[in-house]
Amino acid sequence: MRLTDIAFQNLRRRKMRSALLVISVVIGVAAIIFLYSTTQAMKEDVANKLDQYGSNILILPDTGEAMTFGGITVEAPTQVKELDMSLLPLMQTIKNKETLATIAPKLLVNTNLKGQEVLLLGVDFPQEFQLKKWWKVDGLSKNQLPSSGEVILGSDVALSLNLTLQQNVSIKGQDFKVAGIIQPTGSAENDQAVFMDLAVLQTLANRPNAISLIETAALCYTCPIEEVTQQLSDKLQGTKVTALKSTLESRDTTVNKFNLFARSVSLILFLASSLVITMTMKSSVEERTREIGILRAIGFRKRHIIQIVLTEAGLLSLLGGLLGYLLGMGAAVYFGSALVKAEVLIPWQSDLLVYALGASLLIGLLGSLYPAWKAARLDPTESLRYM
Amino acid sequence: MSLIKVCEVTKTYKGGDGVVEALKAINLEIAEGEFLALMGPSGSGKSTLLSVLGGLNPPTSGKLIIDDIDVYALAPERLADFRHEYVGFVFQQYQLIPYLTALENVMLPLAITSRPGKEQQEMAHTVLEKVGLGSKALRLPNQLSGGEQNRVAIARAIVNKPAIIFADEPTGSLDSKTATELLELFQVLNRDGLTIIMVTHNKENLAWVSRAVYIRDGILAPAPQES
Repeated sequence: MRLTDIAFQNLRRRKMRSALLVISVVIGVAAIIFLYSTTQAMKEDVANKLDQYGSNILILPDTGEAMTFGGITVEAPTQVKELDMSLLPLMQTIKNKETLATIAPKLLVNTNLKGQEVLLLGVDFPQEFQLKKWWKVDGLSKNQLPSSGEVILGSDVALSLNLTLQQNVSIKGQDFKVAGIIQPTGSAENDQAVFMDLAVLQTLANRPNAISLIETAALCYTCPIEEVTQQLSDKLQGTKVTALKSTLESRDTTVNKFNLFARSVSLILFLASSLVITMTMKSSVEERTREIGILRAIGFRKRHIIQIVLTEAGLLSLLGGLLGYLLGMGAAVYFGSALVKAEVLIPWQSDLLVYALGASLLIGLLGSLYPAWKAARLDPTESLRYM
Repeated sequence: MSLIKVCEVTKTYKGGDGVVEALKAINLEIAEGEFLALMGPSGSGKSTLLSVLGGLNPPTSGKLIIDDIDVYALAPERLADFRHEYVGFVFQQYQLIPYLTALENVMLPLAITSRPGKEQQEMAHTVLEKVGLGSKALRLPNQLSGGEQNRVAIARAIVNKPAIIFADEPTGSLDSKTATELLELFQVLNRDGLTIIMVTHNKENLAWVSRAVYIRDGILAPAPQES
């Protein structure tokens, strides 16, 4: 017979109390695992959505002279050493190509319309709309894209040129219909530009295959942006690949709030579970005063009593941890994504089992330290008065 | 030669009515191999004296010397080791642990030794055979009669081969036949060399012991006159 046998037999005898303690650990661990897994999914989902909301990587020609585009340094159109369309398929060959959610190439051309200097932007409309989710375009219904004979205007351009929807405008000798006018966005590159099909502008400007820059939205939650940027730089010779730190910092700030929330709730659950265990074990020890008195009288040291109490708590906590992991992980995998309306699947994370068992053991042992210490301090004579 | 020396042992408690003197300057020597009865009326201090002798209850003053060891000068954990090595207790109401079998109850003192499980089982079986319960080793306490439970308690007290057995009213709740069987068992153990100190208020038990000590109001007293 060993001390563990005494602990084990006691647990077998006090099934209801043991079950209560296991349940309290199960609830605590399951809630923490569920919260952790779903928060991870929420973080990834939010991060992905934020990553798609505007670009976070900009690809420019690698030359010196510059102009400003949306606060970003861009080569002046007249001096630009142009990029070309052959870069686009190359981008799909990087190791983390699946993180490139949107690739929006652009050609920037200055022109004169009705006596005013205007910036023409040739864009890939499906990619551009995906990138500029905040655009509200009058004249276009949802998911409707302009055709090759149509343009959309920034609000300032429409106002200064006195153009309205469905009117025709002549650009470089070709007529285009105004299919949409972007509601004011507050940024010059949107409000002061004319957007048209990229291929059409390349033809009009007599610059076939030319592009001035590529805006990219990379999903950087699972892959650090620095890695994607480096991979693109390696593939796209003669370009300057820049990560937009401010966008990333804003994304990280939001995502970190999820971390803080998850940690705070987990800590509260951890403390609550520990408290329940403390109360359960304390009550168990008080019920066993007589037994402890007998053990002390026949020569058990204080540490033997502590060992018995902690063994009991440890065994129940490990069982609770295992069941809590299965329950929490199962609930997260099967219901987590739907519950938090995340577009990310929660995988079964077997590595969390180690953390669940570790955390449950910690909860159990911390919660039982005081009752164990109290049990060990019982005076055998006082305890035997219960006889 | 004295195995136990009680020197000027006093024990006081703080009670609701002030300080209660349970033991008053007790001096007593008990030789190795004695079967001693501690007798006295209820509240006389005999159970308190037994707990002091057993290393469970430090005296307020005075000394307890067992086998030349100043028992209460030992550090608390060494005192526990001392009880484990020198002392076996047979408590009132047997005090078996209800969720352990008779065999496991007997093995309890061995659980904190380094003896292998098989050796522990053999030792426990041997003493259960000695007290006549070899066939009931796997029964739980509630599946045993009062006398049988008492025998399990004795087996638990002697399994670790202590020098002294302290028994607190061991026959108190037994019928006369079972009580006689128990005292016979004590006598056998005593003949094997065990020193036994038994608290009892039953004069009939005196026939089995080698010496009786009377205590009244916390002091050792002469034997009461038969009326």
